[in-house]
Amino acid sequence: MARAFYPLERFAPTLPTFHLLPFRFTRLNGLELLVNDAGEFLFVPTGTVQQLVDERLDASSELYQDLKAKQFVYDDSSSPLLDVLATKVRTKFDHMCGGTKLHIFVVTLRCEHSCEYCQVSRQTATRGEFDMSTATADRAIAMMMDSPAPAVTLEIQGGEPLLAFDLIQYIIPRAKAQARERGKDLDIVVCTNLACVTDDILLYFRDERVKVSTSLDGPAFLHNKNRSRPGHNSYEKAIEGIERSRAILGMESVAALMTTTAASLDYAAEIVDEYVRREFHSIFLRPISPYGFAVKTRHRTGYEMGRFLEFYKKGLAHILKVNRGGYRIAEVYTQILLTKMLTPHSTRYVDMQSPAGEAWNVLVYNYDGDVYASDESRMLAEMRDWTCRLGNVYQDTRRTLLTGEPALRLFQASCNQALAGCSDCAFQSYCAADPVYHYATQGDMYGHRPTSGFCARNMEVIRHLFSLIEENDRETMRIFWSWINGERVIREVDACA
Amino acid sequence: MGQSESKGTLAASSAVVEVDLSTVSTEALLKTCYWFSRDFVCDIRNRNEKGAEVWLTPRSPATDPELASAKDAFLTSAMDFALREKIEAKTSGIRDLLLAKAFSESGILEDEPLGVFGDSVEEAKPDGMFKILGNARR
Repeated sequence: MARAFYPLERFAPTLPTFHLLPFRFTRLNGLELLVNDAGEFLFVPTGTVQQLVDERLDASSELYQDLKAKQFVYDDSSSPLLDVLATKVRTKFDHMCGGTKLHIFVVTLRCEHSCEYCQVSRQTATRGEFDMSTATADRAIAMMMDSPAPAVTLEIQGGEPLLAFDLIQYIIPRAKAQARERGKDLDIVVCTNLACVTDDILLYFRDERVKVSTSLDGPAFLHNKNRSRPGHNSYEKAIEGIERSRAILGMESVAALMTTTAASLDYAAEIVDEYVRREFHSIFLRPISPYGFAVKTRHRTGYEMGRFLEFYKKGLAHILKVNRGGYRIAEVYTQILLTKMLTPHSTRYVDMQSPAGEAWNVLVYNYDGDVYASDESRMLAEMRDWTCRLGNVYQDTRRTLLTGEPALRLFQASCNQALAGCSDCAFQSYCAADPVYHYATQGDMYGHRPTSGFCARNMEVIRHLFSLIEENDRETMRIFWSWINGERVIREVDACA
Repeated sequence: MGQSESKGTLAASSAVVEVDLSTVSTEALLKTCYWFSRDFVCDIRNRNEKGAEVWLTPRSPATDPELASAKDAFLTSAMDFALREKIEAKTSGIRDLLLAKAFSESGILEDEPLGVFGDSVEEAKPDGMFKILGNARR
């Protein structure tokens, strides 16, 4: 009588049954890119997602172990570790905690520049009716201090705020006194073109620990083309002001921002080199804003988003080359996105938050007491559109500002998790909603992503950064991590050389 | 998915994609059309309960190879949205639980979410991360 034996497979170890954890995916460079709700990602071979959905993936494979380690799947031998994942998700939304942190005071609309791309409808330098009154400043300070945030930033801007220096001197001690009373940390930044700065002003800033943020659009020919002023010497004034500010305030207390106009697009490397020559360690390759006076001049200063993206990629490539050469300079937008992509953390950059930072994390107090959801919201009002005006310091409290109809309209469109086009997007955890941008450009706070410049920019920049990450060049990744960690890049000396 | 073809007088200006609705849901089809709406007018015509045609008419003149390429891209995108629906169906419950756990400290949850709250160390801390409303009331 013949004996029957069980087949060999019966004696093999039983492979675990696995379950999926939530994730989104996209295709990139012939691979599938999986991203979970905490922003953790994994590149996998094409076809993996289908195998996961069909539960056909080989649970003994290295790929399976990677998916398990990154919390895209769990099985009977591992709990879903939901608490760990929930902590990561919560960390990613940390920007929602604590209340409004950034408070922008527009102390005057006066300005002696007439920049082509200016987002503000500036007024001539002598018209005092466009200055904030001391009574309005008192109300704005009180409203700022009503924020539950334990640390707030007071950003003073204009127009050119140094034209209202007496008001700055009024605001700063009062804000400091109230911050002390309420036990809050207070940072103060003045955004100025530095053309009118004097040593007395800078000594005051030094004593009050005020930081300065200024504009530098690139080499002289470009800066002066973008930023007109009597004498055509905006660049010379800016450089002189930067040097004097650094001498009195210290290098770390002076920052610069650039705006990309149509005239800038062919000069990415030259702009970066100007920042290196001036010993800056960060540069923000910013597209022009579709607001305010910039709209009136867009036929001269504007461009398609595709052209900006070419500019950004060229600029980033040059910045990486400069870093490889031993000089540390970070591209700020890249740094913000890399922080979101490679760490569990969010950032304080309000334009790239979901729920949107507008109103929630930033409030703008205009010279006339009106309160706006963001600087861009105020610029819309300069175009006679008050949709994003939340209220006024004389008529509202913080509570009525944030629960009023304008704020609620913004909040409804502020979560990319619930927006058409974004809800399925693999880059959702890194990106934002920006209802004010979409209202300004498309007339709709929810926006139409396929034609959105915001979406085009972020999708392409994130894809580009993921391509660089996937290449996994050791030096590029070291530079990226140095930006995330805020380290200076020191050129490695090849010991074998 | 069905094959696409250039048809009749619209041959030079439209591509037609045939879709099997048992493979790609109407919602997945609409999401695909949403992303193609920048470059194409998308017209969905139901043939019967099981199938639909999507007529892709470019907003600016396109060559036949461009239309063929668009059709391929449309099919790939539709299949991806169908996959996303399946992932969503398999994970929506656990995503709800995940978000409930992540944001429970806000105290806005009316009901305690289902699931095991296994981090006893964290829960025991007075300022621990996880204070699900129901737990906090205990």
